[in-house]
Amino acid sequence: MTTKLMGTKVARVEDDRFLRGQGRYVDDVLAGPHTLHAAVLRSPHAHARIRDIDVDAVLDLDGVHAVWTYDDLDGPMAEPLPLLIPHPALTHGRTQYALANGEVNHVGEAVAFVVADDRYVAEDALDRIRVDYEVLPAVVGIDKARAAEHLVHDDVPGNVGARLEQHNGDARAAIDAAPHTLSLDLTVERSACTPLEGRGTVARWDPDSGRLQVWTSTQTSTGVRAAVAAKLGLDLGGVDVITPDVGGGFGVKINHPWPEELLVPLAAIRLGRPVKFTEDRREHFVSSAHERGQVHHVEVGFDDEGRILGLDVRFWHDHGAYTPYGLIVPIITSTQLLGPYKPGAYRVVFESLYTNTVMVTPYRGAGRPQGCFVMERTMDAIAAALGKDRAEVRSANFIQPDEFPYDQGLIFQDGRELEYDSGDYPALLEKIKALVGWDDFPARKAAAAAEGRRLGIGLACYVEGTGVGPYEGAHVHVETSGRVKVATGLTTQGQGHQTVFAQLVADVLGVPMEDVEVVTGDTRRMPYAVGTFASRAAVMSGSAVHLAALRTKEKALRIAAEALEVDEGDLELTDGVVRVKGAPESQISLGTVAVLSNPLRYAFDEASKAATQFSVGDPGKPPVAEDDEPGLEGTDFYSPERSTFASGMHAVVVETDPDTAEIKILQYAVVHDCGNLINPMIVEGQIHGGVAQGVAGALFERMAYDDSGQLLNASFMDFLMPYVTELPESIDIAHQETPSPLNPLGIKGAGEAGVIPSAAVFAAAIEDAEGLCHPGLAITAMPISPSELFELRRHHASEEDS
Amino acid sequence: MRISGVHQVPFGPDRVWDALLDPAVLVATIPGCERLEAIPRDSGEHAYAMTVTAGVAAIRGTYAGHCTLSDLVPHRSLVMALSGTGAPGTVDATVRVGFAEVEPGVTRIEYDADAVVGGMVGGVGQRMLTSVSKRMAAEFFDNVANALAGGGVPAWAGEPAAAATTAPTAPAAGAVFTAPPRPASSRQDFLAGIAVGAGLVLAGVIAGAAFGRRR
Repeated sequence: MTTKLMGTKVARVEDDRFLRGQGRYVDDVLAGPHTLHAAVLRSPHAHARIRDIDVDAVLDLDGVHAVWTYDDLDGPMAEPLPLLIPHPALTHGRTQYALANGEVNHVGEAVAFVVADDRYVAEDALDRIRVDYEVLPAVVGIDKARAAEHLVHDDVPGNVGARLEQHNGDARAAIDAAPHTLSLDLTVERSACTPLEGRGTVARWDPDSGRLQVWTSTQTSTGVRAAVAAKLGLDLGGVDVITPDVGGGFGVKINHPWPEELLVPLAAIRLGRPVKFTEDRREHFVSSAHERGQVHHVEVGFDDEGRILGLDVRFWHDHGAYTPYGLIVPIITSTQLLGPYKPGAYRVVFESLYTNTVMVTPYRGAGRPQGCFVMERTMDAIAAALGKDRAEVRSANFIQPDEFPYDQGLIFQDGRELEYDSGDYPALLEKIKALVGWDDFPARKAAAAAEGRRLGIGLACYVEGTGVGPYEGAHVHVETSGRVKVATGLTTQGQGHQTVFAQLVADVLGVPMEDVEVVTGDTRRMPYAVGTFASRAAVMSGSAVHLAALRTKEKALRIAAEALEVDEGDLELTDGVVRVKGAPESQISLGTVAVLSNPLRYAFDEASKAATQFSVGDPGKPPVAEDDEPGLEGTDFYSPERSTFASGMHAVVVETDPDTAEIKILQYAVVHDCGNLINPMIVEGQIHGGVAQGVAGALFERMAYDDSGQLLNASFMDFLMPYVTELPESIDIAHQETPSPLNPLGIKGAGEAGVIPSAAVFAAAIEDAEGLCHPGLAITAMPISPSELFELRRHHASEEDS
Repeated sequence: MRISGVHQVPFGPDRVWDALLDPAVLVATIPGCERLEAIPRDSGEHAYAMTVTAGVAAIRGTYAGHCTLSDLVPHRSLVMALSGTGAPGTVDATVRVGFAEVEPGVTRIEYDADAVVGGMVGGVGQRMLTSVSKRMAAEFFDNVANALAGGGVPAWAGEPAAAATTAPTAPAAGAVFTAPPRPASSRQDFLAGIAVGAGLVLAGVIAGAAFGRRR
């Protein structure tokens, strides 16, 4: 194969299957009548003590096989669920029980578990369970949590789970000494990942082999496996976790184990029948996870050029009722807020607060959209205060290309230094300005204004730490047919891993891509893995796959060199064949090399005859050398010192209706630098999806909680996920490739980037269209709806009158 | 959520008041109410365990709960506290009800409910809650109007409490009232009733939502 596949727009091998309805999701697994179905009774109250649960009416119900409450759990299952990512600052971490133990802390918390012949019977059974609750005051929203008039957990004073401060330099002193200062209060509301497929788990216990098999819709098969084994008291080796096709994750499915991920396997063991749980949409809204809710206070000091001399940020993070995922989201906000800039001094402190709402785990972007919103709003405010061009102020603050690696002097979410590996931000700015027509926009805006139309433009920059550790691994195996089987342990939620990893292997082994099959998220095939999150799959597993393929190639060349009696250096591997350079008739196919790699006693087909004991081998040596292993395969792992930092900039042109305040997107532009591209089409697809989700978060989606902790819009009728009709007709994308020095392919992550700057860029553009930029920032909270914009106009009009 | 409304009934406050405090009337006029059982309470309060079948759109179910009438100011105002749970959700509501005779023989009933609606109805049925509540309130008043138009005012209602300073006697604990079988039109049968202002609210709020049994 002479054409390199890396960097080319190879069509996704997954799509044929998906588009023909042949995807295989958890709910498709074990679909037969032998499988039992589980349903979960969930708390209707945001905060309550459970005085009593009466399940008598369910016990004798036909078709019901089990009904459990907390009292039916014992051993590790009766302990709280794991706190997955402990942190010294998380002094008051709390996690839920698999089934509520005497108290519920959010609407939707699991209270009882029923297993029945089918979901209908299971849900009917739930209806008959009587729970006697003593309702307690609910703490909803950051203001109530801070006021701490009531506590979510009696033993967590002030509702504060954690307080973390980081600083680089003396920000306070720098602000005090600065010629100009501003302070801003900025808010981002709650939203959620809302993947089309909710959570789901199926388990089968095989008493003959003593093995438990679990299929689950997760972002980490190995994580679920370890948790199930620990909680159910099984040996790790007796548990297989398989992640089939996943209909979207976006972060929510990185949390584990969910109560159902433990209860379903436990039921499968206790009942001796396969058991399935499939979450419905309402359950997903109230019993999975949300994100984004944060309130920020910014103080900034800057010079006449707009250079930030000191930046002091305090923020409050609403982490909901429990903290299984630790402080990852607020740590990311507090560090990634800095973006491509280098303030003279920086201090950030956050409090992570309990509320009686659904817990928080990362949602695509994971704290970065909030950080970007804060930083970019600050840049816009500085520009407005100085009467300067917004792009110019940003440019004045950029880290320069010759300053890499650039250490921001903070600790990132992975416990490593926040050190940017590479980038070229001034070049990105020039690209985005050209792409969106920044310099010509004032004329365009004036022309529109002459027609009575309001146009506005916004710009936002971000840096995204991607490919966090600790590691990923890959196994590459060439079968005697010449076909190549690749396994990596992290999971796939539709990103196109089967395509990009096959591209990488095909490039190294010189085989047609069609001969490469990639398996992900199956602990039987690769038991060492971490998971798919933080835009890490391409960087981590991509690097591991590349390294494992190189090992396989080394071995193939060694064996072929021996067989062809030439020097390894004289060989080349193309089109699935090892050839002697300059003497192409002297060759051996990769499949035959695989045959030779595995000395056999028994022949099972024509090809394998060649590897039997009377055909090959030097009688004077052991058939497998001491330092060798049978089989043409290679395993390797990639574990970087720290994350690699992708970057990019978005710009949007919006039009706001002078009467109705409707917000229309006229143009959306993205420049994006994720290092070397493996597949530009897939990267663009990720950007498209990210921008769509970003538009959703900026203009439509929010979690509408009332004061009592009821989520009022727990359905797709009321939670406004935009259709394609609400999205820009096209997105202008330009790539910049600044390779990462940290991995062999020079790549950086791309999965989350599209969503990060949305709130920031829309706030800026709408403000520009409305002419609300002076004297101070008008838009300080996102998302913004037409009604809110309408109110904002009225508010400003009345302020001007007064 | 808050739900408030106003309705006029072509009877004087004394008759409306008495009807409201009569469980036999309540059980018959609250849409979906199947059963009321008087339970012991502090003197001066009327408390019932009750069962109501109601629904918002496709989310229908039977709710069990409590209804307490307190802060009784005869012929002027009262507070109805409702709480209940059923499979589709939970409801907790405090309904302040005021009565005023706008002209002789016509009572204007104002209600103002502060309700917490939880569970499936709370999350999925919110958008329909207000309209369903109003529909059920209307149904309740229709029931009443029809009952009144159709005939006899029961003996108990015909004798307004002579002493306006005391509320009608609270029903004996344990007394059970069940709704008479309701024909499709749900008109005649009731005790010629009177309608209860508050029940309706309850009906409204709950209706939509859930009524119920005390958790």
